Amino acid sequence: MKNRSAVSNTIASALVVVMIIAGVGGYYLGSQGVAPAATTVTQVAATTLFQTVTITTQMPTVTTVTTKTAVTTVPTVTITTTTGPKLKDTLVMGTTDSVEVNLDPAEAYDFFGWEIIMNTGAGLVDIAPGTPYNAGIKDITPALATDWTASADGKTYTFNLRQGAKFYNGREFTADDVKYSFDRNMGLAIEEGPQVGIGYSDIIDSVEVTGKYQVVFHLKIPFSPFLNLMAAQASYIVNKDIATTAGPVNYVEGDARKSNPNDLGPYVLSSWSRVAGKDNEMRLDANPNYWAKAAGLPMTPHVIIKFYADATALGLAVRSGDVDIAFRQLLASDIESMKTDPKVKVWQGTGAFIQYMLFQEKIPPFDNPKVRQAISAALDRKEMVDTVFLGQAEPLYSIIPKGMMGNTDKFKELDKDTAKAVSLLKEAGYSETNKLKVEMWYESSGHYPQSPDQAAVYKAQLERTGLIEVTLKGADWPSYRQNRNAEIMPVYVYGWYPDYVDPDDYAFLYWAAWIHHNYENPEAVALYDQARAISDPTQRSQLYAQIDDIAVRDCPVAPLYQGSAFAVTSPQVDGLVLDISQNFRIWLLFAKL
Amino acid sequence: MSLRSYVVARVLLTIPMILLLLTMVFLIIRVMPGDPADLHFEKRVDPETLAAFKQRLGLDKPLPIQYVDYVAGLLTGNLGSSMQDYSPIGQQIFSAFPATLELAIYSAAFAIIVGVLLGVRASRSYNSIPDHTIRIFGIVSYAIPVFFLGEVLIMIFGIYLGWFPTGLRFSPRMDAPQGLQLGGWRLATGLYTVDSLLEGNLTKFLESVRYLFLPVLALGTVLCGIFIRMTRSNMLETLRLDFVTSARARGLKERAVVYAYALRNAFLPILTMMGLQFAALLAGAVLTETTFSWPGLGRYLVARITFRDYTAIQGTVVFYGVIVALVSLIVDVLYAYLDPRIRF
Repeated sequence: MKNRSAVSNTIASALVVVMIIAGVGGYYLGSQGVAPAATTVTQVAATTLFQTVTITTQMPTVTTVTTKTAVTTVPTVTITTTTGPKLKDTLVMGTTDSVEVNLDPAEAYDFFGWEIIMNTGAGLVDIAPGTPYNAGIKDITPALATDWTASADGKTYTFNLRQGAKFYNGREFTADDVKYSFDRNMGLAIEEGPQVGIGYSDIIDSVEVTGKYQVVFHLKIPFSPFLNLMAAQASYIVNKDIATTAGPVNYVEGDARKSNPNDLGPYVLSSWSRVAGKDNEMRLDANPNYWAKAAGLPMTPHVIIKFYADATALGLAVRSGDVDIAFRQLLASDIESMKTDPKVKVWQGTGAFIQYMLFQEKIPPFDNPKVRQAISAALDRKEMVDTVFLGQAEPLYSIIPKGMMGNTDKFKELDKDTAKAVSLLKEAGYSETNKLKVEMWYESSGHYPQSPDQAAVYKAQLERTGLIEVTLKGADWPSYRQNRNAEIMPVYVYGWYPDYVDPDDYAFLYWAAWIHHNYENPEAVALYDQARAISDPTQRSQLYAQIDDIAVRDCPVAPLYQGSAFAVTSPQVDGLVLDISQNFRIWLLFAKL
Repeated sequence: MSLRSYVVARVLLTIPMILLLLTMVFLIIRVMPGDPADLHFEKRVDPETLAAFKQRLGLDKPLPIQYVDYVAGLLTGNLGSSMQDYSPIGQQIFSAFPATLELAIYSAAFAIIVGVLLGVRASRSYNSIPDHTIRIFGIVSYAIPVFFLGEVLIMIFGIYLGWFPTGLRFSPRMDAPQGLQLGGWRLATGLYTVDSLLEGNLTKFLESVRYLFLPVLALGTVLCGIFIRMTRSNMLETLRLDFVTSARARGLKERAVVYAYALRNAFLPILTMMGLQFAALLAGAVLTETTFSWPGLGRYLVARITFRDYTAIQGTVVFYGVIVALVSLIVDVLYAYLDPRIRF
């Protein structure tokens, strides 16, 4: 008995000693520079950048932000280096995102899935980096197509293709690949995929190969945002050796090549591990066959992506130097405090994510436009943005966000105007003794940024009129969705980010049936269809302005705010572009040693 | 009853227990608002597509049929497929479990060793300053939420001092430990500390310990409070007993009296507590995993709940149930070893 006890005692002590030694050893190792901070183990010889290559890119609409002032725009930057600064050849990126289903353009319909498709694949056209305002045709740049023409009726688009572009396995890219990609992706018609969601088959009639390097798209309707749609990741070209017509390409454990049908882009996804249905690690390596390789792209040959549980953990990781770049999602308060932290650099850019308040017209009195207008007028969007998002978002006065053609200030008429709210409410029959009772719902599980805080501010603002009494109700995302479909939430807040960068992908939100707020207006729909069919930006803007006029009059939806895009990096990182396209172009990132 | 028939009886008893657990989870997640079919679609979806999808998942069937289908699948060892990405649940659980197991083993070891040693130390100097200090530490560590302690540790050791990483399981700049490679054959446990040693790579071993250190310290500290209190009170009672006095009278060294005589006798309730704490350990691991972005089963469960992924939630809970049952069985068997008077 004594012996046995002595043994367990020894084992116990040994375990403690091992833990301590290992801990100290780990610390020692850490201080030797194995893991964090700027030192890297796998550091290979640093690359010399641009041997006498001149790169002209539209550079960031973004700059390091240390104050709350507006973002500076640097229109064009020319980097010409013959000797070149020494650059890091590996960057580590952190995110809280994860690929939701797969990386097949026929099925992927989530932000991060599209981010990886964009960085490993290519479409016919691209959106120029740093496109901040009035995104339109002029911002579309060549990618796999070198030039294109549209017919006068807007129903035929002819693309001349880049010659000599190669897939990763060496096969040449030709017009057949374009036809194959569209026929396959639309033909698979995956219910949850973007082609069905956006309605590709309502737009595209057929794709015709007219030469080895020429392809013609025949459209069913004149569709002015067509080039923008071609720049969306759902229109990227797949490698038919991987993406068959049998079904979508899904994640294959231990085989990143077979998991990703996109390989015409700057990077190749060379490893991808998922643990329990969530991404665990990804490695991107420069694509040796990339068609823009001569321009020195991608800037950094190796990128590792690591996945964090939540915004707090990601914020801590970038602060401690565990990752070089943190993108999506970070807390507003973290970003605010990191702005003054010399160990990191905060990047701010235009965001395309918007949130808006909806009124359930099936539930009285929200069928009364006066009540809806009164609520919108009682809101102070600027105050909400400043208190909740610490100024890291912008008030929104139209359903079309700032930075995009068609954006107006029309809802300023129904903003921060308590007197107007009061008079509208009185017209609708409310008084101090007979207050309007509003049951306002918000999403409480973090699907939208800081929803409970937003809701608290809206409540205070509405109650400031003295004629409204707000009851707040929270529901987690699954319940919220169910309530939305059941049409039981009188007032609720919803969000949207675009499929393609065009007002066409926003304006319909005023009456979208799937949001279930039961607003219909044939007049607005007619204007929308008209805007869809013409290509002149001025005319289109006017039509969207008319839609906004109707929206202000009927107030089916009250636009709230537009989120800004943020990334935090180590101070050495440069080349980051956050623009209205929402494209996170990893191939432009680099860091000086 | 012999030990063998006891074990058999216990294993058989586990079946209704798991079934009860499963039934409860099955009903609770279906009572919760939210629809896995609707959540499957990122943006827009028309009602026909939604109905077709529900049919594919079998969600259009009446509840009792769904239940029978699921249990029938379980009996054939099939945990089903995820309702969100269709991958087999069994595979997902086994890809995440080693991370949780590694965290649990080291945290339990930390909690028990530190807790018992401090408890013994406190009992030996009853009502003195060390005793009070340890008792206060025990109360505070028991009361502190693990996610809070985790964040504090990250702030101090990860950000301010920069000694340890703030999260994740292994350095992004190194390949994960692969285990023992013998030709085309690979022996790997999924536990990085073990695999790195099997691989014979000390750097990787120290790296995996460096990543384990803070999560283990956080979870272990929170769990050790209960062991401190338990050990201390049991030891105080045991040390007053006659056999201890007689051992001392026989001139045995105090160390031998305390550890070899008294602690062994005081250990039984502590062992019970270990078994009970195992469930708490797994629950704590859920929070710890989120705080430290540890890619384990806890994080998986939380993520699946937000998607109302019925099959994944059921599978994970059943798996947890089996583990807890297994551990309590092991604890019961250990009783017989520690106290020869116990017969089953």
